[in-house]
Amino acid sequence: MPDVVKLAVVGHTNVGKTSLLRTLTRDVTFGEVSYNPGTTRHVEGARLSVQGQALMELYDTPGLEDAVALLEYLERLGGGQLKLDGPGRIDAFLNSAEARQRFEQEAKVVRQLSASDAGLYVIDAREPILAKYRDELQILASCGKPLLPVLNFVSAPTARREAWQEALARLGLHAQVAFDSVAPPEDGERRLYESLALLIERARPALERLISDIEQQVAQRQMAGRRLIADLLIDCAACRRTVATDTDQVEIDALRQVVRQREQACVSALLALFGFRPGDAEAGSLPLLDGRWGDDLFNPETLRQLGVKVGGGMAAGAAAGVGVDLMAGGLTLGLATLAGAIAGGALQTARGYGGRLLGKWRGEQVLSVDDAVLRLLALRQQALLVALARRGHAAQGSVHVPEQDPEQWREGRLPAVLKRTRAHPEWSTLNPAFRKRQAEREQALTALAADL
Amino acid sequence: MNKLDTLWLTEAISLRERDTGPLEDGEANRHARQGGGDFSARWQARALWLARRDGLVDALGHWKQGARLGLIALAVLSVVSGAGMAVTALAGAPNPVNVFWATGSLLGLNLLLLAGWLLSLASSGNRAPWLGQLWLGLTQRLARDAKAAHLGSALISLLHRHRLNRWLLGATVNGLWTLCMLTALATLLLMFATRRYDFVWETTLLNSDTFIALTVALGKLPGWLGFPVPEAALIQASGNGPATLEGARQAWAGWLVGVLTCYGVLPRAVLAVACWLRWRHGRAGLQPDVDSPQAAALRERLMPSAEQLGATDLPAIPAWVPSVVTLTPSGSGAVMAGIELDSDLPWPPVTSTQVGDAGLLDDRTSRQRVLELLAAHPPQRLLLVCDPRRSPDRGTQALLAELSRSAGDTRVWLMPPPAGETLDPTRLQVWHNALEPLGLVHDTLFPAAWLEPEHA
Repeated sequence: MPDVVKLAVVGHTNVGKTSLLRTLTRDVTFGEVSYNPGTTRHVEGARLSVQGQALMELYDTPGLEDAVALLEYLERLGGGQLKLDGPGRIDAFLNSAEARQRFEQEAKVVRQLSASDAGLYVIDAREPILAKYRDELQILASCGKPLLPVLNFVSAPTARREAWQEALARLGLHAQVAFDSVAPPEDGERRLYESLALLIERARPALERLISDIEQQVAQRQMAGRRLIADLLIDCAACRRTVATDTDQVEIDALRQVVRQREQACVSALLALFGFRPGDAEAGSLPLLDGRWGDDLFNPETLRQLGVKVGGGMAAGAAAGVGVDLMAGGLTLGLATLAGAIAGGALQTARGYGGRLLGKWRGEQVLSVDDAVLRLLALRQQALLVALARRGHAAQGSVHVPEQDPEQWREGRLPAVLKRTRAHPEWSTLNPAFRKRQAEREQALTALAADL
Repeated sequence: MNKLDTLWLTEAISLRERDTGPLEDGEANRHARQGGGDFSARWQARALWLARRDGLVDALGHWKQGARLGLIALAVLSVVSGAGMAVTALAGAPNPVNVFWATGSLLGLNLLLLAGWLLSLASSGNRAPWLGQLWLGLTQRLARDAKAAHLGSALISLLHRHRLNRWLLGATVNGLWTLCMLTALATLLLMFATRRYDFVWETTLLNSDTFIALTVALGKLPGWLGFPVPEAALIQASGNGPATLEGARQAWAGWLVGVLTCYGVLPRAVLAVACWLRWRHGRAGLQPDVDSPQAAALRERLMPSAEQLGATDLPAIPAWVPSVVTLTPSGSGAVMAGIELDSDLPWPPVTSTQVGDAGLLDDRTSRQRVLELLAAHPPQRLLLVCDPRRSPDRGTQALLAELSRSAGDTRVWLMPPPAGETLDPTRLQVWHNALEPLGLVHDTLFPAAWLEPEHA
């Protein structure tokens, strides 16, 4: 494939080169990241593809550590009888014995950069602009490849973004990108690749494809995430337990435990969706839920559902009755149809309502999840979704989801779909009565996901 | 395998994986990746491969056969019902036939259920009509294949996502009713052709004008199509018993056939064709649900957006280490020097006439200057001041080693950060690791006693 853009990720040691690669490839397993300098001591590559077509190869390189001495050495190499230009000096250096000894790591960097289309020069923006960094840039510039400085850790409080931008501009590097690999900006990748397209004109189509694919995938992940949350909410809203009236706290605790586990499952699914490790976030604790002592016999949805069921039963009964009518040659004058319809309707009524009425007569009550808890779950999972979308794959700590404002989840409006869900215990996977694959549940899920 | 079948199997495999956990799909994924194409194509290729392996393709054949058998059974039922309806409507001969009873029993149930179907279509259209449900249930029973269990629900969920099930089931239901009504019409014509019927209408409460108006109104539409409409006098006469007027029987029979055609056969036939067209049109736009969480999970495996290429250019073993030559030149006095210190740190940190200030070392010229200075006048005690917030790299290590060789005794002071900043303890550990092999003593406290022993 001729048009694969090759990029070398270069920079001083411990500035987050491997972190940048993790974030760009959305792969938390890439390379090794630690607080110690010199963690990466080899060259490691990753390939980015769109629709199965490889578009870009990124190479992680070891950090430059001894730039001052190397620059001195390069100047000695170039200053002899033969006046060598930048790439000439680099070639001479790579053939020298020092390239295998003292400057082994630096040799890997310049070798990789010379074999690439461009370099991403990663900068830890918290660092002061030391002379060694200027020397590094001078060495890298000798490779004769375009360099794009990438300012990492710009969101740290001690970042010196302006100072770096000015210093880079003095060195003639005017195109530069701020990209925090731990908390990348929303349009970070777009800006990075657009800046690259300015440096490597022939790579523009590939980079534009990459940008549009990334944005499409972001949208798809958002949608999938919302559906996971909607699934959780439907499961919890439809969850119900029939308990004796004189029940104690045990039942409520059991219900809370079930809801908590379900939320944790949603958290794990969201983490997997965004390519993070399972332990990167935990479901928070649930507030004390009083348990909603529901008596939803007169929930409008319950009544509507009953109406539909009775209607269906009547139609089925009528159809049976027609058969009888036909066999009797019309002598029954449609009475069988009528009787069938009534019987069918009555049967459905008994089926739909009977269990609940019986429970009521026995003195049982229905325990379900409180509205406030549903609102809290919705807010919390949405906050997690936002946090995950913004999180870089280089982040090491676990996701911090801020506490939700109690006012918001105690009052707030509950989507109409959720109210409807209350009347459908068969929609909740937490209920024993769960029935797989119901078109109506799917539809409610889609509607709720769109509503979130 | 046509497009619908492929999508259908893709949906069935998805449902199966959702219910029973992921299938073993290494080989299937490899095939799908080799096949190329966009994600949707690869997803379908994977599903097709898995479906072949697990016998779902055969099950699909059985399911479709079951569907055909079910449809045939329902068609037979429709034909029987249609014929039965016509026979029932005209039952009781040689007694005269009550035209409105006959009309009611020919059209009543049909129109009632048609209204129900239209209502459900208008309200939400999610619920399959009961005849449609009957068909799907019958199919499941006739397919008699346990693997087909997922297929029925897969079809429903696939069609439901595109809101197509109402059109497919609508076409089936209306088609069956059309058949039923056509049979009734044919039976009616056959009976009219071969037997003699007299027609009457009866009422106890209503005015006879009502019946005349009703008959004319109902006959208007068939009239436009050329069916005869009884004249008012004839209708009036039929109210008092079988009309003896000329052509009364033909007129009533024609009216009945016209009413059955216009209100029974035509609406159902038009709806069946319309539903079928909608279904045909919608079927072309079917596609798998690429926004689902399941698809998102599969995407990375079928069409990885990032792959690791592995490591190259591995580090040499053993790694290069700065040489530690323990030369201890005898010198005199104390000197301190700052290594790559930031401008936010004070320099010199202490002012003392006893301690020489070699300045800050950063770029090459300042390094050269200090090294020359130390070589010319080697000090007894050299204090190197470093900022632990920076990372100690190999260049710094080499510089520290070189500096330490030009003094009698060298210590490193890791200067605390300016007020308001806290130091990450991991940084100190990093510096400790870097200074250990150089044999340099280091501390975070200013070693005043060591630097100026005579003052201590």
